[in-house]
Amino acid sequence: MSTNPVMRTEKLVKTYKTASVETPALRGVDLELCRGEFTAVAGPSGSGKSTLLHLLGGLDRPTAGEIYLDGVLLSSLSRDALSRLRLDRIGFVFQAYNLIPVLTVLENTAFVLELRGVALRERIARARKILGELGIEKYANQFPNRISGGEQQRVAVARAVVAEPAIVLADEPTANLDSKTSLELIDLMRHLNSEHAATFLFATHDARLLDRVSRLVTLEDGRIVRDEHRVKLAAARA
Amino acid sequence: MKQAWRHLWRSRRRSLLTVFAVLIPVFILVLELGILNGENKSLFENTVKFETGHLQIQRAGDRPEGGALPLIDDPERILAIVDHTPGIAWRTVRLDLPALASNGSRSQGILIQGVVPEEIGQVSPIGKLIAEGTYLRTGEKGVVIGKELSSLLAAKVGDDLVLIGAHPDTGMGAADVPVVGVYTAPDPTLGRTMIQVDLGLAQTLARRPGAATSIVAFASGVAGPWDAPKIDRVVKELRAQLPSGYKVLDFRELAPDLKTFETVVRPIHVLFMAIFFILGGLVVLNTLFLSVIERTRELGVVLALGASRRRVMRMVLTEAFLLALVGAGIGALLGAGLVGLAESGGGLKLPGVYSDFARVMGMEPVLHMRVTLSELVVSGLAMVGVALLAAWVPARRAAALEPVEAMRHVD
Ligand SMILES: Nc1ncnc2c1ncn2[C@@H]1O[C@H](COP(=O)(O)OP(=O)(O)OP(=O)(O)O)[C@@H](O)[C@H]1O
Ligand SMILES: [Mg+2]
Repeated sequence: MSTNPVMRTEKLVKTYKTASVETPALRGVDLELCRGEFTAVAGPSGSGKSTLLHLLGGLDRPTAGEIYLDGVLLSSLSRDALSRLRLDRIGFVFQAYNLIPVLTVLENTAFVLELRGVALRERIARARKILGELGIEKYANQFPNRISGGEQQRVAVARAVVAEPAIVLADEPTANLDSKTSLELIDLMRHLNSEHAATFLFATHDARLLDRVSRLVTLEDGRIVRDEHRVKLAAARA
Repeated sequence: MKQAWRHLWRSRRRSLLTVFAVLIPVFILVLELGILNGENKSLFENTVKFETGHLQIQRAGDRPEGGALPLIDDPERILAIVDHTPGIAWRTVRLDLPALASNGSRSQGILIQGVVPEEIGQVSPIGKLIAEGTYLRTGEKGVVIGKELSSLLAAKVGDDLVLIGAHPDTGMGAADVPVVGVYTAPDPTLGRTMIQVDLGLAQTLARRPGAATSIVAFASGVAGPWDAPKIDRVVKELRAQLPSGYKVLDFRELAPDLKTFETVVRPIHVLFMAIFFILGGLVVLNTLFLSVIERTRELGVVLALGASRRRVMRMVLTEAFLLALVGAGIGALLGAGLVGLAESGGGLKLPGVYSDFARVMGMEPVLHMRVTLSELVVSGLAMVGVALLAAWVPARRAAALEPVEAMRHVD
């Protein structure tokens, strides 16, 4: 494994302020993610998993601390530049599949390429290829509401990786899936991880998924309490 | 674009309603323009036929005292030029003279039109508007007066009027002239002030045999005020041809009322229509606002994926554009269709009272409508513009969404 860090945080703090209360969601997180890692973030509900992913993905800004993506300091970017960075460098998979209902599976997959200004022909070809790899090419012209949850989530994964981002962030991608489908989805992500050297970070509750990962970061109360590398385990499985 | 279509299709009922709200103002505006054009045309025709012609040639120089026009001593020379100018459909010689008409102790200031009856008869509707008696015949010593003047002076057909003409260049001339006909005027001022006599008699009253004050002409191929450019061309041509000392006036210069229609009446009507356009715009605003709220989550995802805010705005504006384009297109076509249908059936028959009124005035009891392609296009584009402006508000809102919050939105 390479030790080249894709993403790095320094004393990351996030405190949500509402009118009366301040909720500390992250209390100083130092994390380094290397290229090609397949990392899970586990932890009880409210431990700050989603918050961490949102900050890493540039969807929200930290209260304190810094985030670097390939050496770029996220806090130095304007709102529009951050948006552009998400488009170019980050892939997202959300818990609720969050496909665009009026676009077909193929169009959903190609959407980020369209936003990036990739020519029609090329984006169709690339979207088809990735759908094929994920075994859902046959649904290419279906609308999302016509396929199952597991299939929709595969489309979401396809959409996240199609533009070959620096890192794919997935917030509880299997939360709405049964265990068999969940394992299949994780295996697909693992496959993309090894085939394309794509870097994955996903948050999960589900202990059964954890023996599939190469690294497990456990959050509690907004702090990293454990950080285990499971290279051997993953290698043994492979 | 495809995405926008599908969104609109997904909430068909609302889209249809919006299309309708956009369609109505355009439809009404097109009809309104059709009617205005029709009205403008009849106003134009009344004015040019009774009074001004499309254009007149007069002697240049200030009007002498008393409102009389300077005299042209040799109208034949000018007529020869006019007859060689292309684009002229008809012309005649007229001598307009301010005068006093008296019957016994009653008198009234009037304007005499000295005309060549068989020439002016081709254009002036007065011949057909004779309510009592007959129209003039050439060389006849007689006068045709309006109903209003007839009652003011208590003069009937067969009564003698004393006409006293006064031209500042020549002095006073007077004659006893029998009333041969009474006409119904399209407007009472005209009926009270305008009388017609044979040109020869007018020359006697002006004490200048062979003279005239104006050459009145019609340009060919003019169906209504919108054909004014044809008139302008002839005017330009004549200006180049005429010897110095003469001027050419077009109908706008001769009848400022016509200009008022263009510069005041029509704009006021059209401005009034703006209310409907604003209502249509508000419906578009409302529709897209609902659509943005319903799709908060989806827009959040689009923003999270890294779509620029401009792009998100464009998504909303594209929907507004499509709704407005379809609505305005259908509205304009329906309006044009109705105008066309009415015209192909010979115009809209005026209802009861108006129809009687029109008939009394010797006009067709029919409202003719007309709408031009550019009016259709401008009406439609105006609605599209208003819709886009209205859609700006929801578009801004969509673009201002925070992706994380938007994705938490439950729909
Ligand atoms: N927008 C917000 N405003 C206020 N508090 C928030 C907000 N989002 C999260 N929190 C709080 O921050 C803490 C961390 O939340 P976060 O969603 O990151 O946890 P999580 O580990 O993802 O939990 P779960 O497993 O339930 O998804 C929680 O106490 C939560 O209530
Ligand atoms: Mg969470």
